[in-house]
This record gives sequence, C-alpha cells and structure tokens, in this order.
Amino acid sequence: MPENNIKINELLDVENWQKNNSTSSKGIILNPTDDVQALADTLNQASLIAVDFSNFDDGRNYSQIKLLKRIGYTGKIHAINVHIDHLQFILRSGVDSYELLPEYKKYDVNYASDFSICYQAADNNIGLLEKHKLD
Amino acid sequence: MYKYDNLDSQFLGERVEQFTKQIDRYKKNELDEDQFRSLRLRNGLYKELHANMLRVAIPYGVINSKQLNQLALIANKYDKGYGHFTTRQNIQFNWIDLADMPNILKDLADAGLHAIQTSGKSIRNITADPLSGVRTDEIADARPYSEIIRQWFTLHPEFSWLPAKFKIAINGIKTDQIGMKFHDIGLQIVRNENKELGFAVYAGGGLGAAAMLAQEVKSFVPEEDILSYLESLLRTYNLQGRRNNPKKGRIKFLVKELGKDKFSELVEKDWLLSKDNKELKLNFAKLKKLQDNFKIPIKPKAYSNKNTDVDFNFSIWRKNNVRENKISGYSVIFVSLSQINSAPGDISHQQLKALAKLVLKYSCDEARITKKQDIVLPFVKNEDVYELWQKLNLIDLSSPHNDTFAHIVSCPGLDYCSLAKTTSIPIAKQIQNRFNENGLLFEAGNLSLHISGCENSCSHHHVADIGLLGLNKNEDAFYQITLGGNTKDDTELGKRLGRAVSQDEVIDVVEKIVKVYLANKEEEESFNKVFKRIGIAPFKDSVYA
Repeated sequence: MPENNIKINELLDVENWQKNNSTSSKGIILNPTDDVQALADTLNQASLIAVDFSNFDDGRNYSQIKLLKRIGYTGKIHAINVHIDHLQFILRSGVDSYELLPEYKKYDVNYASDFSICYQAADNNIGLLEKHKLD
Repeated sequence: MYKYDNLDSQFLGERVEQFTKQIDRYKKNELDEDQFRSLRLRNGLYKELHANMLRVAIPYGVINSKQLNQLALIANKYDKGYGHFTTRQNIQFNWIDLADMPNILKDLADAGLHAIQTSGKSIRNITADPLSGVRTDEIADARPYSEIIRQWFTLHPEFSWLPAKFKIAINGIKTDQIGMKFHDIGLQIVRNENKELGFAVYAGGGLGAAAMLAQEVKSFVPEEDILSYLESLLRTYNLQGRRNNPKKGRIKFLVKELGKDKFSELVEKDWLLSKDNKELKLNFAKLKKLQDNFKIPIKPKAYSNKNTDVDFNFSIWRKNNVRENKISGYSVIFVSLSQINSAPGDISHQQLKALAKLVLKYSCDEARITKKQDIVLPFVKNEDVYELWQKLNLIDLSSPHNDTFAHIVSCPGLDYCSLAKTTSIPIAKQIQNRFNENGLLFEAGNLSLHISGCENSCSHHHVADIGLLGLNKNEDAFYQITLGGNTKDDTELGKRLGRAVSQDEVIDVVEKIVKVYLANKEEEESFNKVFKRIGIAPFKDSVYA
C-alpha cells in the first residue's frame, strides 16, 4: 500500500479546514497535538486524513490513528513522511496507505518486512503469526 | 521458567537481522546519529565514556544455567571479562564494539536472551519479586503475568515511541518487594471482596531528579482486563505526556500535573471504550500454560542431616545469606555480588561459568537476580548448603554480606558511565573498608546504603536508609545525602540531610551517621524506625557540627 499520488499541498490542517469549510481541500493533515476525540465531527467530514510521521521520536500518531478508528472514521488514513524504520509499526496501526520520505525510496519494497511474528493484537496483523493466539 | 519456543526464537532471529541491517546503514551514513541512537537504544546499546555498553534483559530476574553460561561467553569473548548485574534485574557489558553487535545478539538469542527494549523511550524489562513462587504469603506468582505483559508490549505498534522510558514492576505479595511504587507503573496483585484475582494499579512513580512515589489510580482491575487497562493507561500517557522537555517526559510529571484523580479519570474513560474488545482479554489458556511453566520444581522432603564441620565463616554466611524455603527441606541462597574491593553487581566470566554449574547442580537449573544486584539460588536442598558454600568459596562468591551494611548498592559511576558526575564504586569500597576497620560492620546490622553517581539514580539511592547522590560542583565531586528511605517492605523516599559533602568528607560522614544510629538504636530497632523516632536533627548535628 505505498501511495505516491496524494499531494500534501492540497491538504489543510484542522484549523484551516474549519475556516475554509473544507471546500478547497482534499483532506486534513493531522497535527500530533490535535485532539482526535474532540474534533471527531470535523474529522469525520474529510475523505482523507494524512498523519505526519516526520518526527522520528514522536509516537503520538500511533494513538491518534487508534482514536480515528474508534470515532468511527471511515475515510482514508494516509501516513506521510514515513521513516522506513517506522514502517513495521505504521503498517500494523491501521493506515490505508503510506508514503516514504524521499531518502528511503531507493530501498527494496520488502526492506521493512523483517518480522513474521507479532505478540499482540493490533488493527492490522495481516501476514503475521499472532503468538498471543497460538499459545 | 518460561521456555522459548520456535516462534520466540524465530522472532529473536528476525530482530537480530533487522538491527544488523540498521547498523550497516549507519556505517554507510544512511542513518543519522539521532535516528541510529533511537534504534540502538531500543536494542540495549549505549555509547559510554570509553566504549559501548550493552544492557541485556533478564525478564523479571529469572535465569537458567544455559543463559548464565552464555553471559559468561559474551563477557569473555566480547567484553573485558566482566558483566555487571543492575538494580533492575538486567546485566550490562561495558566494553562492546559496535561491529560485534550482530554476533553478540545472535549468541544471546541462542540462549533465549535479548536486549530488546532494555533502553530508549520504550517499555523496559518488567521486574518482579525475585522470590516469586517461593514465598509463603504470596497472593499469586507474579511471573506468569509478567511474561504475558512482557510479550504483549514487545514491539507494540502503538507504544514503541513513548515520551520517555517506561518501567513496570509487578508484586505478588502484600508487602512491596520490588519497589513498585518507584516505577512508572506498579501492579500489585490483589483479590477483591469476591476473592477474584486482579491488580491494583499504581502510576507515576520514578526516582531521578524529581523522585516521586506512584499513586493508586485503580484499586482493582480484573486479571482478564489487565492488558486493555494497561493499553488505555499507556495511550493516555503517549498522547499527553510531555514531549517538548526531555527532563519532564516521564509519566510521573503527567500524573502530578493532571492530579491523580484527573489522570485516572482519563484512563478510565478510554478503558470503558476498549475493555470489551475480545482481542484484549487475557488468554486464560495461555496463562494456565505459563503457570505450569513456572511451577515450583521441588516437593517437600525430609531433611537428611549431613555432618558438617564447625566453621565460623560458614555460620556467619548461613545466618546472613540463607533463608528457609516455603517447601520444607529446602533453602533459598543469596549469593552477594558485593565483595570487598570489587564493584557491586560485578561478576567475572569465570564466576558466571562456575555459577552456572552450581545453579544446574544445586538449584533445579534456576536462579534469580535481585534489585540489590545479587543472585538467588531458590531451590537448594538443606543438606547441600554447606557443600554449595564451599564451592562458592572457591570462586570468591561466598561473601556473607547479604542483609548487612557491607552490602552496598552502587551504579557503575564515573568509572564506566558517561552520564555520571562522580565515582560510585571507589566510594563503596572505601566505606566497606572503613567499617571493616572500625569493627562496626556487623553492629550496623541490616542497614542499606546506595550510591548513585548522578541524578538518574540507577542505584535507587532515594529508597536506601542512607542514600548518596553524586554531584559536581566546580569540577569537584560532592555527595548529597538522604536518610530514612525504605524499600524493604514498603516504599518511602529518604529526606535530604543538608548541604552536600565533599568526596574527602563523605566516608567520615557516613561513619558519623551510622554512629548516631547505633547510639540511639534500641535493641533490634531498624534505621528507618530510629530515624522516624528521633528525627533528622541528631544526624545533622553530628555531621555538620
């Protein structure tokens, strides 16, 4: 599910989305500090939400995606600015698509598929043996 | 104990391959320093003063002879011959070459050992009472739960990039044996009024520069819901913990800032939305299997009395280092790693190897690591105790320091650690020597002294009877002193005595403090009780007079 056709400059952050009443934008870029639960009504209007993973050490996005699923968001969740070392976590978080940062595009498509086993339930465990269920 | 199956082994192999690729990219400059730092820490690798330090997990402190042998091999082959057991039941190697890491991790994996999440802003090794399963007053054995929780949070896709490190401790008896209140989360196994098993959850503890005790955020979480509750707690922290100030990232600051009630309300709100998710319920079949794995391997037996020579040294050692097992006919042996003139927690590869043999022969192939940096052999036949002592003697591991003042807990300090402000190990040695000379060692009794070389507080100095914290003032080493901490049966933080004392004064000051205690002690009264009864003033008067 790599996806390179989504243009970041066509997306708006939550504040501008609310101001512009969503007409000019194809979707929302979520900020790590945005309160997904409080913004549920707004977020649910967007057909696409992009989650920005550029900060290597900021893991809030993962919980935001969890909350997006919980508020019943049915649009597309797209991870942007993805570091390849985060991909194993991002793929399991329940995103629909992702785009790597340019510096990682030279890597083989299977670079990040190191694991065949996982130890916990997550939104997407496809292709993994779920150790917690097998015991 | 828990036995790694093929899937666990496969997983470890895959993790080794992943990190090996990352090391290659780093060498080729395809990973920058900060990113590589983040990744190597999650594989237990620190850059230290002179070399790299590798921290290997010993989950809840349980280890077998094969693993001890493998640690011996690593100490010998890749280090300068030593390992250092830590206060959180891990072991560290201080002289590691980055180039050796893939082979080291492979060697570790061969024995079911790893360094995953032993550092970095991740969920760290889970600690549990080293006497789990052998205590008479246990509510439930903490180890099967520790293993379930350990597995669940291994490379968890939502909680692998937290605002700060995250430490969990699980306690299975009524008194706090693992210092759970100074952990980010402490789980106390409890039974509710219907006799159902569950956990009281404490959150927001931590030592370091702003030491705080964890507070109870939930009095009862049924055992089947513990994973969903922990996820909700971690989610709340992951989203709201401070990320703009590395010094305020730990959960203790969030719990303090929001207040315990508000924090627990947020967790509760999240939990109500996830607790009914069947995927997050505890797998009871798995729990049962783990409980079988952790079954006590011994049955009561009659004590066949062997003739032992009368030996004064053995008697002292037995008094201090041997405790009764709840299974009749067996003893629990404490091997002190705080010899005079060696660093607390340090062990040579020869000792590790010899110890592995003893663990296999005398303790049903199982040992435990304690928060005081000792090794426990929990299943020793009473009639073997003397013979075991003789063999420990041969490898210089028979020091009778357990439960005495000579048993000093210390971090590696400036000798090994790049974060340290002062030395720790030489201070520990000097104190041991001083009390050997002044004859007060045994009179001081079960008095605890912990030395940390910086505010990271690796020796847990806040919870010692006497805590020393190293500080740097204009390039000179000073030690700040706290008194009256406790981690014996509950957790209490020590109180600061007064101005920090210089390195030249500190040994004298410790002696003065112990003398005030001894002069005021009534019968077998502990330091903690004397301190509470007479207050800090007499200690101040003696030290700063």
